Amino acid sequence: MSGPNEDNNTQLSSHIFGDLLDSIIVDVASECHRIAKLGLDRNLEEEEEEMRLSAQARARVADPSNSSETNTKYVVDIFGQTHPSVATEIFECMNCGRSIAAGRFAPHLEKCMGKGRKARLKVTRSSTAAQNRYSRGSPVSTYSPYSNSTSTNRLSNGTPSVAGEEYSNGTYEEPWNKT
Amino acid sequence: MSHSHKLVIKRSSMSRPPPPPPTTNKDQQHQNPSLQEINIKLIQSGEKERLKELLRERLLECGWIDEMKALCRAFTRKKGRNNVTVDDLVHVISPKGRASVPNSVKAELLQRIRAFLASTAD
Repeated sequence: MSGPNEDNNTQLSSHIFGDLLDSIIVDVASECHRIAKLGLDRNLEEEEEEMRLSAQARARVADPSNSSETNTKYVVDIFGQTHPSVATEIFECMNCGRSIAAGRFAPHLEKCMGKGRKARLKVTRSSTAAQNRYSRGSPVSTYSPYSNSTSTNRLSNGTPSVAGEEYSNGTYEEPWNKT
Repeated sequence: MSHSHKLVIKRSSMSRPPPPPPTTNKDQQHQNPSLQEINIKLIQSGEKERLKELLRERLLECGWIDEMKALCRAFTRKKGRNNVTVDDLVHVISPKGRASVPNSVKAELLQRIRAFLASTAD
């Protein structure tokens, strides 16, 4: 294509675009006019207010300064309630009979039933390889820090070793099982 | 009862200038005639309608239409529901509207238009 032809095309294109845009502008104006005359915008004002409020709420949620002040543990839900990050209802473990907090139940079960399986496996497979393997990183439990050599000692006296208190900081305490 | 058979010279009709070409766009009288041809091709092929729908969809997605409607509502509130005309609203929206089209939208439409022009070039 030669130069002037391209310029012409560009000018034409812009002109056509302008036409289209004007046409849409007239459509929008006409529609707004209709809504205004028919009084259909009564509800729209309420919707606008809601949209503004929801935008404000979203801004508050996204604001980083907010979440550092209001601790993430105390986020307020839409009913104005706060929930602790760890669910606090107490249940009885059906395996070992202990009272466990709901929020700690799953990891407790992992260790409770996992250790039970380990104990069973230890009896059937007495090879040190199996012992070492399970003492390092149990395939059942994902919390490998808990499986160390001391735990196998505790298993050997037959008591099911169950999780202690604070698993989240990596320590493995068993206030109940005093060997 | 009787029709007059006298020759009546309607001077006004003789002196009236030829009617403008059948378009609403005043510019077209000054533009090269090929714009008219292009326009006809656009309309007849249905491309103009498609382009307009595409533009409308993009403007809707980016919130442009909502902005324009908000401007109209604000103006209507000020001027009073019964005093507003379509013309008023067009003048309210046009300058801001033409200026606030996102560049990506404009580019996309221009590209399609240029493609159409290229496809219809002889």
